[in-house]
Amino acid sequence: MTPAGDFRTSYRADMTIFPTRGSRVALWIGLALACAAPLVLDRYALGLAINIGIMGIAALGLNILVGFTGQISIGHAAFFGFGAFASAGLVEHGVPVVLAIPLAGLATTLVGLVFGLPAARLKGLYLAIATLAAQFILEDFFARAQWFSGGVAGRVTEPFTLGPLRFDTENSYFYVVLAAVIVMFVAAANLMRTRDGRALVAIRDHYLSAEMMGINLAWYRTLSFGIASFYAGIAGALYAHYLLFVSVEAFNILFSIQFLGMVIIGGLGSIMGSLLGAAFMVLLPEVVQTLVELLQGGAIDRALHLGNGVAFLKEMAIGAAIILFLVFEPDGLARRWRLIKAYWKLYPFSY
Amino acid sequence: MKMQPALLAIVLSTLAIPAFAQPIPVGHIADLSGATSDVGVPYGQGVDDALAWVNRTRGGVAGRQMNVTMQDYGYQAPRAVALYQQWMSRDRPVAIQGWGTADTEALVAFVTRDRVPFISGSYSAALTDPTGRAPKADKAAPFNFFYGPSYSDGLRAMLRWAADDWRARGQQGRPRFVHMGANHPYPNSPKEAGEAMARELGFEVLPAIQFALTPGDYTAQCLTAKNAGANYAYLGNTAGSNISVLRACQTVGANIQFLGNVWGMDENAMKAAGTAANGVVFPVRTAAVWGQEAPGMQAVREISRISDPSGNAYRPVHYLAGICAAMLMTEAMETAAEAGGQITGPRIRDGFYARQNWVPRGFEGVCAPSNFTAEDHRGTMTVQLYRAVVTGPTNQGPVDELIRNNTMRLERVATVELERRRDWLGW
Repeated sequence: MTPAGDFRTSYRADMTIFPTRGSRVALWIGLALACAAPLVLDRYALGLAINIGIMGIAALGLNILVGFTGQISIGHAAFFGFGAFASAGLVEHGVPVVLAIPLAGLATTLVGLVFGLPAARLKGLYLAIATLAAQFILEDFFARAQWFSGGVAGRVTEPFTLGPLRFDTENSYFYVVLAAVIVMFVAAANLMRTRDGRALVAIRDHYLSAEMMGINLAWYRTLSFGIASFYAGIAGALYAHYLLFVSVEAFNILFSIQFLGMVIIGGLGSIMGSLLGAAFMVLLPEVVQTLVELLQGGAIDRALHLGNGVAFLKEMAIGAAIILFLVFEPDGLARRWRLIKAYWKLYPFSY
Repeated sequence: MKMQPALLAIVLSTLAIPAFAQPIPVGHIADLSGATSDVGVPYGQGVDDALAWVNRTRGGVAGRQMNVTMQDYGYQAPRAVALYQQWMSRDRPVAIQGWGTADTEALVAFVTRDRVPFISGSYSAALTDPTGRAPKADKAAPFNFFYGPSYSDGLRAMLRWAADDWRARGQQGRPRFVHMGANHPYPNSPKEAGEAMARELGFEVLPAIQFALTPGDYTAQCLTAKNAGANYAYLGNTAGSNISVLRACQTVGANIQFLGNVWGMDENAMKAAGTAANGVVFPVRTAAVWGQEAPGMQAVREISRISDPSGNAYRPVHYLAGICAAMLMTEAMETAAEAGGQITGPRIRDGFYARQNWVPRGFEGVCAPSNFTAEDHRGTMTVQLYRAVVTGPTNQGPVDELIRNNTMRLERVATVELERRRDWLGW
């Protein structure tokens, strides 16, 4: 929330990401708290935080494609998987993990550019089906290309190391993911302030007007796929060196849909929304799991003869939550967050 | 009134054991919702019931209750790996009951590092070499155990039976063998070993045929097998998808002798497939099946009452195998705890080596004898082959009724004793 009146006199002031001193202070406090998190949180909570960070990076990539450029992709998990396998494969050939992660990101970018080519010609539903093809082609490739992915048996890989430091526990790997999240999110926020970023938004808002302004539609649409794939590749590589095992069955179409769910729940066209959406999708199963454990053996369990069915309740609750979100908060968590902020700032005059 | 202090002491001492002894953390990764849940559910139930029964009737292991954490992983290897890492950072189980081939093989490196015995539902031969020195093994798996013959040994035994069967039926020429299953580590596991054995026995080996782990329409696969003239086909998947294949092959009239693996056929699948399942030969891991009499059956029935107090449920072969796997682990823990020892991973592993022809106490005649050594984790080389016999329509009545009126039965065909060949270890 900016103070009353608009006193900005330069483009520099107009385009700043954190407009007030309050938000800048909050940023540094937030960062300091995040850095201190491994000192207080247990490994389970840190594991969740790491997952949120990884999923957040991938979701941000998809948000650039879907929320900012107005394209669609239902093959994001395949690119995520490509990054994971590429990084694990590079490590297998002696590349250090520190280098393997960005290299995997670049390799995934190339693959994304290739599968993004149909976007130069297709829109909407047709593009969705074309990306669906990418999902299935890549998934089948993972299952059969023994040299690349280790085939259906998957591949065990190495932890992240930096000189004598080994980042093989949640406590240490948290910092790796935190650094990646900061770099990737700052990069995306800045990208949206550049000429190229604004071109992407222009294409989303009205592709015909954008073209008349001299924006090369084919180039920017394909580029958007490349950027989205880069984010997915980096996230996939981080995932590989966290779990230390990569296997084809993780990167299925459901996972792709989950990424779309994160973007929609978080808020289309919102950088921070990507992280909020990822947090929601990672934490929801855990919350439901806790509820399920409370139910197990209780009176409701016995009355309804749930038994083993309690485990399935979890999957159903996640689906229901997504539907409810789409119905009642279609603009996502990012908007809800803005409303909460406004409420406190303007209290007691909420208008 | 004089009795009171004594009574009080007894009450206190019984209370004191659970109150002061730390429970033993045990993990259990099960597939209750994934592609193999058709057999994962009864096996997981068997493991759970057996461990609960040990806690209830034997007071746990060496006076300490086992605290079993069971989690469903939906047959997704990455979820199993994530679960494992979660456990290792929180409860640190001393032993884990596992399930599938993809996840168990992925976890080999982790359980070896953390020194946690892992008793899997996967019988992949790759898990049987504890040293990694066997000629065809590609990795060492010193902390992996399972109850029963490996997939490869099961297939070898069935092929040996098939060769005899071919001669006994007075057939001419070379029989044709085909491997069928999904492109997945579990059905792939015995593929090479089986095809090599088939060639050794004089079979003509046809190109493998793929079908997914989920039920579907597999008419095309059956036509391929029929047109290629297959005489013997190995079904590498679990019962759920095998049913689809059996039905499709019955429809197209393919005259093939099917050989299932240990998870490929059971009483529920026989009921679902009906007469299409008639004649399928598969290995049964326990010395007795539900409804037969054996000294150990008393304990099995008690265990079954844990989750079915009425005592009426019919328990398929996988339930009994789950009990035996759980009981091997508990006895290995008891050995570890002997003479005041700590119950730790390496000591439990040594517990697996402590006995020859090992049948868990109280399960005589049910669990087949196992032999584990520090050089060889092939628990058994004896393979009991059974044939599924279905004589009529199975859509009427539950499984136990169909068994009782003899519409379905499991018939012992042969017992194949394989040699403990070193070049078969880990392969």
